[in-house]
Amino acid sequence: MKRNLYQPINGGIVDIIEESPTIKSFVVVPEETFRFETGQFVELTLPGIGEAPFTPSSSPSDTTKMEITIMKAGQMTALLHDCEKGQKIGIRGPYGKGYPVGDFIGKDVYIIGGGVGLAPIRSLFLTLVERINDFKSVVCRFGAKTPDDFIYKNTLFDSWQKIDGVDIKLTVDGASGDWDGNIGVVTTILSAGDVDISNAVVVVCGPPIMMKFATMKLLEFGFGPEQIYLSMEKNMSCGVGKCGHCMIGKYYVCKDGPVFTYEQIIGYPNIWD
Amino acid sequence: MQAVLISELKPFLDALTQEMELYVPRMSGTHYVYNRYDASAKVPIEFNNIRVCTPVKEFLFPLRELAAVYPESFEPNNIKPFAVFGLKECDLRSIEILDRVFKEAEFEDPFYVARREKMFIISSDCTRPADSCFCNVLGGKPFAQNGFDLNVSQVKEHFVIEVGSQKGKDFIEKHSGLFTKTTEAILAERDKIRIETQKQLEHNNADLEFDSPVNEIVENSQDSAVYDEEAKTCVECQACTRVCPTCHCFYLYDTRQKDYFAKMKMWDSCMRIAYAEVAGGANPRKALGDRLRHRFMHKFSYFLERYGLDMCVGCGRCVDAEAGEVDIRKVLKKLNEELKGKDKTKAEAAK
Repeated sequence: MKRNLYQPINGGIVDIIEESPTIKSFVVVPEETFRFETGQFVELTLPGIGEAPFTPSSSPSDTTKMEITIMKAGQMTALLHDCEKGQKIGIRGPYGKGYPVGDFIGKDVYIIGGGVGLAPIRSLFLTLVERINDFKSVVCRFGAKTPDDFIYKNTLFDSWQKIDGVDIKLTVDGASGDWDGNIGVVTTILSAGDVDISNAVVVVCGPPIMMKFATMKLLEFGFGPEQIYLSMEKNMSCGVGKCGHCMIGKYYVCKDGPVFTYEQIIGYPNIWD
Repeated sequence: MQAVLISELKPFLDALTQEMELYVPRMSGTHYVYNRYDASAKVPIEFNNIRVCTPVKEFLFPLRELAAVYPESFEPNNIKPFAVFGLKECDLRSIEILDRVFKEAEFEDPFYVARREKMFIISSDCTRPADSCFCNVLGGKPFAQNGFDLNVSQVKEHFVIEVGSQKGKDFIEKHSGLFTKTTEAILAERDKIRIETQKQLEHNNADLEFDSPVNEIVENSQDSAVYDEEAKTCVECQACTRVCPTCHCFYLYDTRQKDYFAKMKMWDSCMRIAYAEVAGGANPRKALGDRLRHRFMHKFSYFLERYGLDMCVGCGRCVDAEAGEVDIRKVLKKLNEELKGKDKTKAEAAK
């Protein structure tokens, strides 16, 4: 029999990692095998409290557990931040369409991320580096408010930068102390020569304002709207294209997204709000 | 299609209650609402000549329902067979629309599907459309053509009962003693009444003529200022979406019961300000006009593109329920005028 689509799979939080002053990663173990594609999202339930959508930040190749990185942004996320190891949770999904990794083969993959937007990007990044030779290059340009606000610091500042075929540049809005990297918003470290525009795709994930300005910059460089993949995180509630909350124009972000090319959504009002 | 006659409704309704719960229309104030039928009660049976005020979605997708329980899993059960008497063609079309959403193969809503399977539909002809009814403009009729189990038409002292499904046929055959044969003359009289009502509707809506298909009119209104203007009198009561038989937005919320946790599903409205808001406060439709635009776009363009039919049946319930002055017909008319103006300007520019 088909599972009732509103019924979560039971699971638990087995570990919690403090990523930054406002962001934590939760290692979640579902009681059933759980497969997802990178970029797809899940609905995470705190029993009796609420439910919210998150994109896993771990690689899909681990089917026994997943990591979900969450910024304290509202009521539900604040309550999640108060949780401790052993907390029972529910998971529905995975939902939506993820990154079309197959279409990235043979190309420069240009990844632009900001703040907690690095969460879905990490899942994509790990997926790409598992088969790094399939891509011409993986070029990352990431930003955060301060050096301390970067998530995944242990790997981001270290092992990821050493992977062959990967080029990472970081920037912060402001820093004090021993930060010797760039200072400025993420668009200040983008350059038209970062990748071969004629054979590249761009993935952008971050706060709406950052996605907007990054997209404008990319268009200036000469990228086509069909080359730019945006993660539109809206108010996905049911996850299955019925309840209506996440609609952007004709699209249900939960079902048709959450990853869209800019070309798909360019004509709709207020997409960056 | 097979049709039979009966001279009073009570034996027919009583027979239905032997097999299932039955809901019948009852006039309450100036509108019909649905009540559970009680065969032993001495209240007169009402034949509603117009749609019931409340939308049929209530029977299939209740205002609030339990959607999941955990840690134990929960599936729909104990849903008993039920019949609804007096549904109109607009109601049947709205069920067709809801079916597309909730019976979608990939993501079936098990609660909707369970209720839909147990529902016995008895439609009836409209004979006195309201001023707000405009179904004819959107391809509707004042009588049901399909989608019912049985359909009832009042013809003078008779009720013609038409069979629309196997379930309906089985019922008529099982209770054949209640019915007599119909005649060509009576069916001809029924058709005459239907044509008269259709004419009445056309007369009522004579000034609601469009120069382009409604979906084109609405698709071209992405930048229209009409929505902001029209939304000025909206008080966000959300009555339009509540009484709408096709609106199906809902939200899920979690609750803590005595000995279990539950996920509830409850109607929501795209006209509510926080409807699309996310944690952190971003909201793509903060302005009322943007929400009204989205509602129209969804009804006449997005839904059509996805499911192949309009998400408005022209029942006019939203017009009756409106607390401000937003009138779906008036908005469509204004958008039509605007598009006509644009087309004219284009044509002149082309010269």
